[in-house]
Amino acid sequence: MALKYLDKYPKNVALRGWILKPFFTTFKNLVKTTIRRPVTILYPYEKEWIPDNYRGRPGLVFEKCIGCGICARICPTTCIELVDIEDEKMGAVKRPQVNLGRCMMCGYCAEYCPVDAMTVTPDYELAAFTREELIYDPYRLKWENTTKGMEVKMEEHLISNLEKGILDQPSAFYELDRPKLIGEKCISCNRCAKTCPVDAIEMVVVGENEKGKPIKHPKIDESKCVFCEQCIIICPKDALEINEVL
Amino acid sequence: MTSKMWVTMGPQHPFSHGLWTLKVRVDGEVITDATPIIGYLHRGWEKECEHRTYPQIIPMADRLCYSASMTWSHLYVMAVEEGLDLEVPERAQYLRVVADEICRIQSHLMWLAAMGTDLGNLTVFLWSLREREIFLDLFVKLCGQRLTTNYPRIGGVRNDMPYLFERDCMRAVERFEKKLWDIIALMDDSAIFLSRMQGVGHVTRKEAANLGLTGPTMRGCGVDFDVRRDDPYEVYDLFDFEVPVSQDGDAYGRYAVRIEEMFQSCEIIRQAMAGMPDGPVRVKAPRNVPAGKHFARLEDPRGEGLMYLISDGTDRPYRLKVRSPIFVNVSASKRLVLGARMADVPAVMGTIDMCLGETDR
Repeated sequence: MALKYLDKYPKNVALRGWILKPFFTTFKNLVKTTIRRPVTILYPYEKEWIPDNYRGRPGLVFEKCIGCGICARICPTTCIELVDIEDEKMGAVKRPQVNLGRCMMCGYCAEYCPVDAMTVTPDYELAAFTREELIYDPYRLKWENTTKGMEVKMEEHLISNLEKGILDQPSAFYELDRPKLIGEKCISCNRCAKTCPVDAIEMVVVGENEKGKPIKHPKIDESKCVFCEQCIIICPKDALEINEVL
Repeated sequence: MTSKMWVTMGPQHPFSHGLWTLKVRVDGEVITDATPIIGYLHRGWEKECEHRTYPQIIPMADRLCYSASMTWSHLYVMAVEEGLDLEVPERAQYLRVVADEICRIQSHLMWLAAMGTDLGNLTVFLWSLREREIFLDLFVKLCGQRLTTNYPRIGGVRNDMPYLFERDCMRAVERFEKKLWDIIALMDDSAIFLSRMQGVGHVTRKEAANLGLTGPTMRGCGVDFDVRRDDPYEVYDLFDFEVPVSQDGDAYGRYAVRIEEMFQSCEIIRQAMAGMPDGPVRVKAPRNVPAGKHFARLEDPRGEGLMYLISDGTDRPYRLKVRSPIFVNVSASKRLVLGARMADVPAVMGTIDMCLGETDR
């Protein structure tokens, strides 16, 4: 089989203009580069244009964050961990701390964040003298000027919706998936309600045991829940399980 | 008097792009035996994957090969979607095809730059890297990064096309099709280049198939096979494109096939942009893959990539095997360089476009 494009290139030197063609190319480039503006930039003073969704280091909007820990679990290199901090306005809260020495700028923390607190930022100049400097605590991780493109939204469509022909209802797993209780396993230990970052779990009395003490089961407020799976992980008897909506 | 001796080329040698060694036995100038030694870049990639959930492996698959990151993560999500039996929205398939072809062009330009310096033509290096920047800019707009794209997701792609991306894409393709002739002129007009490429590293059609060569290396030897055409994945069966095959079988044939593939990729991008449908770009994928064995394959810029996934019903793979094209192609290096001169080795091994990240994994 012949080559479609490269065979068009004339094999005869005379048809290619022999030595005149390289001369012509060189002079064309010379004239062009003299007239036109330079293509290089003076790097530290000028910076190249980068789009909004550029995946630099992760940034944090401190007020929006609820400390749910989804970013810490999805991170492929486990560079995010939740640390306890004492904030002036908010009191004792949990906020993510990022080890940028390990971060590979995949942008998953921004994509999976249910409240758009983690964002991708256009900050790529991260050189430091020591490895400790690369560990960004929540205050250093703050990014104030967040624009709309930096909050990467996860717009997933349900397969069941697509089959029905509904094309305009994008959602995400944290809006749909909810923990499900297996009643007989629950031992009324209250740990899920304590650990829930958005206070979506309330313990309600469902009956009495043989000693006369109340049996409490968690009741999940579906409008508050962001499906961070903290309750599922902490449950000592695996009484909560993932209920996926597809 | 003839003296036979072993010469070790690499791991730090200008001809070995990446860390690998080619031990050759020379009889005077003629090579009589050769052994490739790889494994300097082994990172335990396949074992690492067994400790990560399915979405977490996508950015890792980018790191298999820096210049073909899009195709490798695409291959991985194809293998998982095969296991989930998931139907990807049509717009996402088109976007993946566009990103794949941009990736193919920039990977081939990277190869052309390396090939130019191997044969002592630095202008080829500068010009082809300049053209490559245009396509990396497209990647920045589409995915947010230049090399590690992290664009495909299980069940679609990360985000939709940005505003005016179609216009930028068309402009880049149109400009590139004109500029590539300049680079071709640098290579094909040069008698030195032709005499170093033509007739060296000759492999017949039958031998190429028996050695297991894939990709442009195989098509440069006359075997007419392309996964995009013969086992179409995504929406490749809707596009009208030719698979370039050269009957030469030498280093020049493999060079010609790669140049031709860049033109064909431009053609595919143009058709894909024209036929891009509207609609969603991502569907929600279940987190657990049902137990079973699944595989997917696609046409990498370097050859045929294949991933074999064994899942056990949890959210982590039980085993993920990568069939890397270069791992097979480099094993044929003995046959390729046998009988050539010492100075032909860069020209011959340059045409298989080494990438050690995917070879050693």
